Amino acid sequence: MRFDLDMPAWKWPFYVAKHPFEGFEDLRWKKAYNMKVALVIVLCLFLVTVCQHVMTGFLFNTTYVKIFNIVPLLVQTIVLFFTWVVGNWSLCTLFDGEGNMKSICVVSAYALVPYIITQVVVIIASNILERNEEAFIIFFQYFGILWSVVLMISGIKTVHQYTIPKTLIAMIFTVFAMVIILFIMVLLMSLFQQVYIFIYTIYTELMYRFSL
Amino acid sequence: MPKLKKIAAIAVSALMAVSTLGTGAFADQPYDGYNYDWWGDPVPSQTGYVVDRVVSAKDLKTGKRYNSVDQLKDIAEKTGKTFFNNKEEYLEHQAKYEAYDKYKDAYKEYEDYLEDLEKYNEYLEKLAAYEEYQKDPEGKEEVKKPREVKKPEEVKEPEKVEEVERVKEDDALMPEIELTTFTEPRDMFIDDDTGKLYIVDSGNSRILVVNADFSGDVEVMDFFYNPETDGYETLNKPRGIFVRHDYTIEDENKQTMIYIADYDNGRVLAVYEDGTVFQQFTKPPSEFYDDKVTFQPSKVVVDVAGNVYVCIMSITDGAVMFAPDGTFSNYYGANRVEQTAQAIANKFWKTILSREVAANFIQAVPMEFSNFDIDDEGFIYTVTEATKDTQTDIFKKMNPAGENILINLGFSEYTYGDAASYYYKNTTYRSSINDVDVDENGTIRLLDYTNGRVFEYTDECDLLFIYGGSGDQKGLFKAVSAVEAYDDIVYVLDSAKQSITTFKRTEFGDIVHEAMSLYNEGKYEESRGPWNEVLTRDSNYWFAYIGLGNAELSQGNYELAMDYFYRNSRSGYNRAFKQFRMEFVRSNFNTFIIIIAVVVVVGVVLSKVIKYMKKKKAGGK
Repeated sequence: MRFDLDMPAWKWPFYVAKHPFEGFEDLRWKKAYNMKVALVIVLCLFLVTVCQHVMTGFLFNTTYVKIFNIVPLLVQTIVLFFTWVVGNWSLCTLFDGEGNMKSICVVSAYALVPYIITQVVVIIASNILERNEEAFIIFFQYFGILWSVVLMISGIKTVHQYTIPKTLIAMIFTVFAMVIILFIMVLLMSLFQQVYIFIYTIYTELMYRFSL
Repeated sequence: MPKLKKIAAIAVSALMAVSTLGTGAFADQPYDGYNYDWWGDPVPSQTGYVVDRVVSAKDLKTGKRYNSVDQLKDIAEKTGKTFFNNKEEYLEHQAKYEAYDKYKDAYKEYEDYLEDLEKYNEYLEKLAAYEEYQKDPEGKEEVKKPREVKKPEEVKEPEKVEEVERVKEDDALMPEIELTTFTEPRDMFIDDDTGKLYIVDSGNSRILVVNADFSGDVEVMDFFYNPETDGYETLNKPRGIFVRHDYTIEDENKQTMIYIADYDNGRVLAVYEDGTVFQQFTKPPSEFYDDKVTFQPSKVVVDVAGNVYVCIMSITDGAVMFAPDGTFSNYYGANRVEQTAQAIANKFWKTILSREVAANFIQAVPMEFSNFDIDDEGFIYTVTEATKDTQTDIFKKMNPAGENILINLGFSEYTYGDAASYYYKNTTYRSSINDVDVDENGTIRLLDYTNGRVFEYTDECDLLFIYGGSGDQKGLFKAVSAVEAYDDIVYVLDSAKQSITTFKRTEFGDIVHEAMSLYNEGKYEESRGPWNEVLTRDSNYWFAYIGLGNAELSQGNYELAMDYFYRNSRSGYNRAFKQFRMEFVRSNFNTFIIIIAVVVVVGVVLSKVIKYMKKKKAGGK
């Protein structure tokens, strides 16, 4: 059963999650990277984060739900994920990484599956458990995060054919790269805003001048 | 038709005009009532208290001295002052003195006249001699012409007046004093047993005692007979007062004991009701108390056993506690050190570095508390004025061992005063609590110096009302210094406006308090009515939902209780939810078992079927 790898694309993420170390090797060997599945997983991540804000039980909900704003959640999940992918790709191509953008994206998305599943469990449990049983929720949360981190390390390692220390260093530097990318993005946005205001001012000035 | 329209238009406009007359009649509060919701956001709310009256020293008019006439005569003798029976007598004396003063001036003038007259007579004599010489100058000594002296105007001798000594107003001792002003009043105390209000008139170094409704005479205490020295003690800028009754003492005169924190004299003076000193609490010996630190009591509190707790601004170890016999016994209830990043880092380095190096570190010292109060059960409540860096232990309720018992009641630490600080014109304004009052129902009132507001809490620190504010109008304050409550009336002392403002409870406040007292007595069913009434008047009133939730919870309506607690109280919701879940599982136990059984059976069957199908498939290949 284990070596029967001719499975449909949607089964791969679960297979990988069950076999954190060999799973990604198999994925690489079969070249079974599927972008559609990866995008669905990222969408699921976003949906789960929204659900976490809205549906977590009152006893465990620490978010300020008086105002619900979806933009920060979008930034927290989808934007952050793709920044990670771009950051990792741009860094690892410089350091002999063998992965391309697609493989990095797919592997990173597959690694998120345990986190998403445990989050769903946590959301359900938060509506059933009471305050004294908070330990279960904390356990599940950390368990999911830990599993996903292990998967992420394993995936990045396999995709780039790195050793473990090199993977860890690459991941730390990827975080720095993400910070820089986000910084430049904010800078660019404000610049474009300035340009827009400039053009708009000229437009209104002309309108007044020629009283159009 | 047009006529009908016209009539309708007139009717509508008349209605609108009338309706404007109705509005505006409610805008008699200088401050807006508000409250905080579960998120810590301010929401508009009905006010629980409205301003009743503002009383300054002039409204109290004259005060009577506490001491008897004999005592006053004795005081006058011992302190070199002069005794007068009343103001008229003093004024008479003053008039006599002025007359004497005038007589003295007039007499001096008369004396001058006499002198001048003498000189003139001399001149006349000399002139006569000169004239004689001029007539027959030969053979005689030369006589010069004397300088001319004019004849002085005649001044009559003034009538003689009795000699009177001058007495300054401060040295005049009268049984009645005209109260012109409170000067920097610092503290207030209301004696629940007698209904008397004690005002510490700090700048004038005296204590004023008046009925809580400001009726009747004002008694002034400024001289205290000390039987040990047979002399009289005076106060010097007193800052705090506490009154205690001990009905086990047989002598009725000794049942009421008044403790005064005599700031500039560095002592706590304990006197009986008749003004006789029976004890003085002074600086403890140096083995307990740092000699370099001053002992200037600013507040004093006494427990049932007679232990005296003294609040001193220069001490961070807590209140100085004296045993009933006046000996130093302990420091009581120090605040904790604010856990800033620096304090934590210092702690870390101290564990690593040697003691010599660590000794050079800046010592992290807790804030000293600024005021305290004691309730009927002997719990002491302290408040600490928040600074920019310190937010720890702003309000504490301490057991006799000095431990704060308010820490572990809820899921998180409480906030007191205004939840958020605000920034205006380069200054950050944050609530700075400088007085606390606990009444016999356990209702806690905190006084915020920054904004001049009173925050009223239940005995479990749930916010009930906020009233007052800063400004010039009636009901607003400039520099509040003390808060006290008696019956339904709240007294706030303002040391800058030099007046006492009383607040009376509104109907809304009455309903809230009625509901609370019903609930505290365990009459949950009865408390539901008032709580619903509160909600119809103010649906934002956060605490009513908690009250209703508690009522439903105690009635066993867990689901309803959960609805009330939802986004109002996490601990209440937790309690209701626990019960609800237990009941739900119990009542649906059979369904659960059936569902589980069905799921297991279906699962087993399905897996069998799938296996069979696969086998068939493999076999087929």
